[in-house]
Amino acid sequence: MKDYAGVALTTPVSFGYARQSPHGAAWFIGSVLRQLLAASGLGPDDIDGLAVSSFSLGADSAITLTQHFQLSPRWIEQMPYGGASGILALRRAARAIQAGDAEIIACIGGDGAAHRSFEGTAANFSNFTIDASFPYGAGGPNAAFAMITQRYMDEFGARREDFGAISVAQRYNANHYPAALLGHKTLTLEQYLAARPIASPVHLLDCVMPCAGGEGFLVMSEERARSLGLEWCKILAADELHNAHRDDDIQLRGGWTEYVDRLWNRAGFGPDEVDMLQTYDDYPVISMLQMEDLGFCAKGEAPGWVRDTDLRFDGSGPQARKLPHNTSGGQLSVGQAGAAAGYLGVVESMRQLTGSAGANQVAQARHAMVSGFGMINYDRGLCSAAAILARSER
Amino acid sequence: MSTTPTMQSRLKLNRPSLRKLARPPKQRTPLGTDFNAANLPVALALQHCRDCGSVQYPPRELCRQCLGDALVWRATAGSGSLVSRVELHHSLWEYFKRRLAEKPWPVASVRLDCGVIVFAHLALQTFDSEAPGTLAADTAVQVFTHTDCSLNAVMIAVAASTPTASRSQRHAIAAGLGLLEPAIKPEGI
Repeated sequence: MKDYAGVALTTPVSFGYARQSPHGAAWFIGSVLRQLLAASGLGPDDIDGLAVSSFSLGADSAITLTQHFQLSPRWIEQMPYGGASGILALRRAARAIQAGDAEIIACIGGDGAAHRSFEGTAANFSNFTIDASFPYGAGGPNAAFAMITQRYMDEFGARREDFGAISVAQRYNANHYPAALLGHKTLTLEQYLAARPIASPVHLLDCVMPCAGGEGFLVMSEERARSLGLEWCKILAADELHNAHRDDDIQLRGGWTEYVDRLWNRAGFGPDEVDMLQTYDDYPVISMLQMEDLGFCAKGEAPGWVRDTDLRFDGSGPQARKLPHNTSGGQLSVGQAGAAAGYLGVVESMRQLTGSAGANQVAQARHAMVSGFGMINYDRGLCSAAAILARSER
Repeated sequence: MSTTPTMQSRLKLNRPSLRKLARPPKQRTPLGTDFNAANLPVALALQHCRDCGSVQYPPRELCRQCLGDALVWRATAGSGSLVSRVELHHSLWEYFKRRLAEKPWPVASVRLDCGVIVFAHLALQTFDSEAPGTLAADTAVQVFTHTDCSLNAVMIAVAASTPTASRSQRHAIAAGLGLLEPAIKPEGI
């Protein structure tokens, strides 16, 4: 596979997080676009590529949004890939830049959160959902992930305290990220364990909070980023695999296992040289699957590994091994803004690597691993994606 | 003209929590309604491929193995083993919300011996243990369908030793889960 040389990821934007909102998806997507233009100094006609991910566009689509925003792109993508949207967007956009199909691509994930809209999305998520999962208790994603969590606990002896270590460390990170919807509250392991059950073994603080918000970034050539005076980061390696391990009875691993070695080979280093890990944390067990499948620990060892690893952004925890994880608090503390949640880790990594993170800045951040996971069609998440990003040496 | 009936019917349509009667999710795809019809006469019917013999679930348009267009509904053995199980304490659907207010709703993921994974309402009363958390993975179970009060066929998982050969036995288990009656809010609309 060709490398991603010459491609710059710039201008990370997170916008408008709110628990509920009267605004539609186009408001969030358009607002992210406005901020991308303001931050880069570009005008609407400079944007000749548009990638959009959203669950709540209703009758609209990426193409109808071009008229909303008066854009005339010559490259367009709509990517309904949930938690893998951000990484898939950056891969597609990077190739388009390399091929010369577009010069500046805006990649945006955004969703509204109207009253009771989550219920509608969950009930109509896919045909398999309608026929074979929603009728069984209408638990939405909680039910499928609780199945996975229970089996993971059965197989590997994970305890609730182990999942709690992830949630508690992420809340500490969120306490330093002002946009996090739960960042104003601290969280202790005792509070985590005392949370009410939702779909046991999953309890309230294992579940992401659906919300509204938008995330986005620009993809362009390094020359263009340099001439615009923008900070950027580059893609050392990225890959994806979907509906992997399709004969497994239940999802205790994802597609990452099939390409993780290639990823590290292309990056030229191993997990030890990563300064931060951003996993897709819709539930802590899914972060554990990613830690294992991406090579940070062996299968089934994530519970012990998170006990022995300081996951805080500033390394202030007692453990000797440090790996900042979900440095803005992840979805568990920031909120899950629909498809924007698939952009959260990418955008946060870009902020960290360009030194623009603010109070939750990881010191001397050079390399970030970002992972995406998405689309519970029936009993498992179908998308897997991962990317290794690096600070640019200008 | 009074506006009350209009307001009442609006509330009934748009606010499930205000309804007197709440039922399990009604919506199915056209393939889901085929599943309902195929399951009326038998304990469990699934799609089988006439060309390659593979069994399908959830219902599909084409065979998942050979992509052939030769799927037929056939009575299928419901024997299988537990893959995982949960107790729902929270639901997005009013019927389950009302049932949950009394006790958590148990759901199972089961691997049938014919090779498919199904989600099923878990009839805990047929097992010795009380909570799903104490049921071990790989516990042998039996799965059958019964029509719920939304007139959809739904899967029900019971302990493997449970007698389910007769329609009345299956009916009693479905009734015991509360699936055959709507969840009632007496003061509702």
